[in-house]
Amino acid sequence: MKYYMGKILIVDLTAGTVSSEEVPQHVFDAVLTGKGLAAWYLYKNIPAGADPLGPDNILGFVSGALTGTGALICGRLAVACKSPLTGGWGDASCGGIFSPAIKQCGYDGIFFKGISEKPVYLYCDNTTAELRDASAYWGMDAVESEIKIREDIKSQKRPCVAVIGTAGENCSLISGIVNEGGRIAARSGVGAVMGSKKLKAVALAGSRPIPCADHEAVKALSKELGTRINKMKFPSGVGGMLGLGGTALGIMPSTPLPGPVTSLIFRHWGTPSNMPLAITSGDGPIKNWSGGPKDAKGMTRAYNPDVIKRMETVKYHCYSCPLGCGGKMKIKGNPFTDYTETHKPEYETIECFGPLLLNGNLDSVVAINEMLSRGGMDSISAGNIVAWAIECYEKGIITKEQTGGLELTWGNAESIVKLVEQMINRTGFGADLTDGVKRASEKYGGKEYAMHVGGQEPGMHDTRNDPQLAVHMVTEPAPGKHTIGMAIQYGAMSLSDICSWAPPARIHGKGRDYIPNEEMAMISKANACYSLLTDSAGGCYYAEMMGVHMWKLVEYLNAALGWNYDGDHYMEIGERIQNIRQLFNIKHGFDPAAVVLPERMKGNPPLSNGPLKGRRLRTEEQVALHWKAFGWDPVTGVPLKETVERLGIPALMEE
Amino acid sequence: MAKTKIIIDCKNCISCSICVQACPVSALELSLFGKSGKYPNMFPEVMSDKCIGCGICVKNCPMDCISQTEE
Repeated sequence: MKYYMGKILIVDLTAGTVSSEEVPQHVFDAVLTGKGLAAWYLYKNIPAGADPLGPDNILGFVSGALTGTGALICGRLAVACKSPLTGGWGDASCGGIFSPAIKQCGYDGIFFKGISEKPVYLYCDNTTAELRDASAYWGMDAVESEIKIREDIKSQKRPCVAVIGTAGENCSLISGIVNEGGRIAARSGVGAVMGSKKLKAVALAGSRPIPCADHEAVKALSKELGTRINKMKFPSGVGGMLGLGGTALGIMPSTPLPGPVTSLIFRHWGTPSNMPLAITSGDGPIKNWSGGPKDAKGMTRAYNPDVIKRMETVKYHCYSCPLGCGGKMKIKGNPFTDYTETHKPEYETIECFGPLLLNGNLDSVVAINEMLSRGGMDSISAGNIVAWAIECYEKGIITKEQTGGLELTWGNAESIVKLVEQMINRTGFGADLTDGVKRASEKYGGKEYAMHVGGQEPGMHDTRNDPQLAVHMVTEPAPGKHTIGMAIQYGAMSLSDICSWAPPARIHGKGRDYIPNEEMAMISKANACYSLLTDSAGGCYYAEMMGVHMWKLVEYLNAALGWNYDGDHYMEIGERIQNIRQLFNIKHGFDPAAVVLPERMKGNPPLSNGPLKGRRLRTEEQVALHWKAFGWDPVTGVPLKETVERLGIPALMEE
Repeated sequence: MAKTKIIIDCKNCISCSICVQACPVSALELSLFGKSGKYPNMFPEVMSDKCIGCGICVKNCPMDCISQTEE
C-alpha cells in the first residue's frame, strides 16, 4: 500500500503535452516528497549547463509527504528549478492552500519543462489535466489574475491558483509565484523561470482523497497539538515591550528558548512580533547592514507589532495551521497606494523596507507589501537592492541623472515606493535593479555595498549576530536563505532528543560561537538536515520552532506513512536531500567554494554601535568544519564519494 | 441520500481550514461571521445550498468538532 500519491504530472510546454510518471516507492522512501522529490527529479532531468531561462530548465511544484494527511502545520508548497539568480540550485516555499490541491488532483508534484509559444495556464482536476490559453490574463497582476482565472473556471470545487505577476512576466530575476493574493514562493527567481516558460498560472480543482496509513493516530497527534495551541492566550498591549526583550537578548548569554513560547508569539502577532526584538537585539540589519540600533531611532515605535495588529481585520490561516500568523488588513486611505486591502506584511518585508532603509513610515511599507504581492516580487531581494541603491546614491556612485530624478535618500518613502514600482514593471532606473543587486553593482559599481551571497540577497537576520546563521547562508545550495537554521531556532527545537548525534542546546556565552568549533558544525549539520526533512514533509519553519516535543514530526511521519523509524533515520533523509541539492550545484558548475559573505556581513569593518559592536566572524573556517561534518571536502565543498555512497545516492539516480 | 445538516462546535475548532480544503464542492469557508465569529476567531461556515452531505469534512476534522445530523 502506497501512502503517497505515487505519481507526478509532467507538462511539456514546448510540445503542449501533459503526461504522468510513477514515483518509485524506493525514491519516496529515500527522499519523501517536497524539496526531496524536487531535488531527485531536477538532478536527473536538467542537463548540465542548461540556461535557467531556457527550455531545458524544469520548474517543479511539489506537495509535502504529510500534506493532507490530517497533520497540522503541513501545508507548505515547495517550488524548485535551476535558479536564474545564482546559476545553481533554486527553491522557494510558501504557505496558502496550493500544496494540498496538488495531491487532491492525484499527484505528489507537477513539473514543467520547455517553453510555450503563447501564454498558457495548466488546469487540473480529478479527471482533466490540460493547458489552456492565458493570453487574456497576461499583463494582469497576481491578485487580479488569480481572481479572474478562478471566476472563469466555474468548477464546483473552488480552484487553487498559483500565478505570476508583472515581475514574473518581465522575467525579473527576483520574482516569485503567488497564491491566495499574497502568499509567495519568492526566492531564487522561481517567478522568472515561470515567466520565461510563458506559464501564467496553475489552477487546481481536484478533490481526491489523500492516503494516510493510520488516520486515527495522526488525528490523535493533531488533537493534542491543536488543543494545546487553542488554550494559548497572550496579554494584549505588550508589543511595545518586546524591544526591551530584544535588548536583553542582545546582552544575555545564548539561551535555549522553550519552543511553545515562539508559537504563542506568532499566534498573537504573526512575524511582525520580531520587529522590535530584531532592532534592539542585533538580529535585524539596519541601514544596508552598516548600522546599529542608534541609527534606527523611533523604529521600534513605528513598527510596534501592536500597532500592526490593530490594522488587521481578519487573521489568515494557511492550510492545516491553527496558528494563523498571517492576516489581512484594510488600507483604504493609505497615501502611497490606491489598493484597499493587503495581507499583513511579514517581518522580512517590514525589516527590509523599514530599518534597512531607515524608513520609519509604516504606511509606505504596507503599500510596498501590496505592490510586491501583486507584482509577484521577492521583498527580501527588493529591499536589499533598494538599500544598495540608496547607499550608492549617498556616496555619489549613482547620480540623480541616472535615477531619472529620484531622490534616493535614506528613509525617503516616496522615492522608495516609486523605485519598487519601476523594478516590478522593469522601467526607468528600476529596470537595472530588477535582476538582483549583484548584476546592478556590476553595472554601476559599489560592489562593496551590494549585499548578496552567491548572487542572492540575504534574509533579514544579521550574520554578525549569529555565526551559525552565517554558515547556513554560505553553505546552503540556494545561498543567502535564512530559513535553514539559526542559533535561536536550534535552541528551541530540542533536536538532540530525537537525533543521537545532534548536540544538545545549552546556555553558553556568545563568544564561544565566534571561535570556529566542531560542536557548532554538528549543530549546523543537524539544523540543516532537520530543515530539509521538514521541507520534504511539507512542514513550516514555525512548526520546527515549536520543538520536537510539541510538533512531533517523527511521530507524524510514522503514523501517516505506516513506518516505525527513529529520528536518526529521518535525519538521514534530510541529509540525503541536502547532498542531492549540493550535487546539483556541482553538476551545473556552481562552485560552493566561491560563495562567500560580503565583508560587511562578516563584521569587516565591525559595527560601531549596538550589541554587535566590534563583532567579527571567521565564517570560512566554520564553513570548512560544516562541510567536513557533512562528509564533504572541507576545501571544495564537494560531497565525498563515500558520503554519497553511504546515502545510497548513486543507486537512487539510476533509471 | 437523506438531507443532512453540518454542525460545527466552535469551542474546539482551531481554524486549521482542513475541512475547507477537503470539501469537494467548496461548501465551507473560514469566516468571521460564524456562530462565535469575532476577531480574531475564524471559524468554518457551511453554505447549506452547496453542501451535498458527503461527510468528508466530518472525517477530516482533526479536532472532531464537526458532526452531521439528519435534518
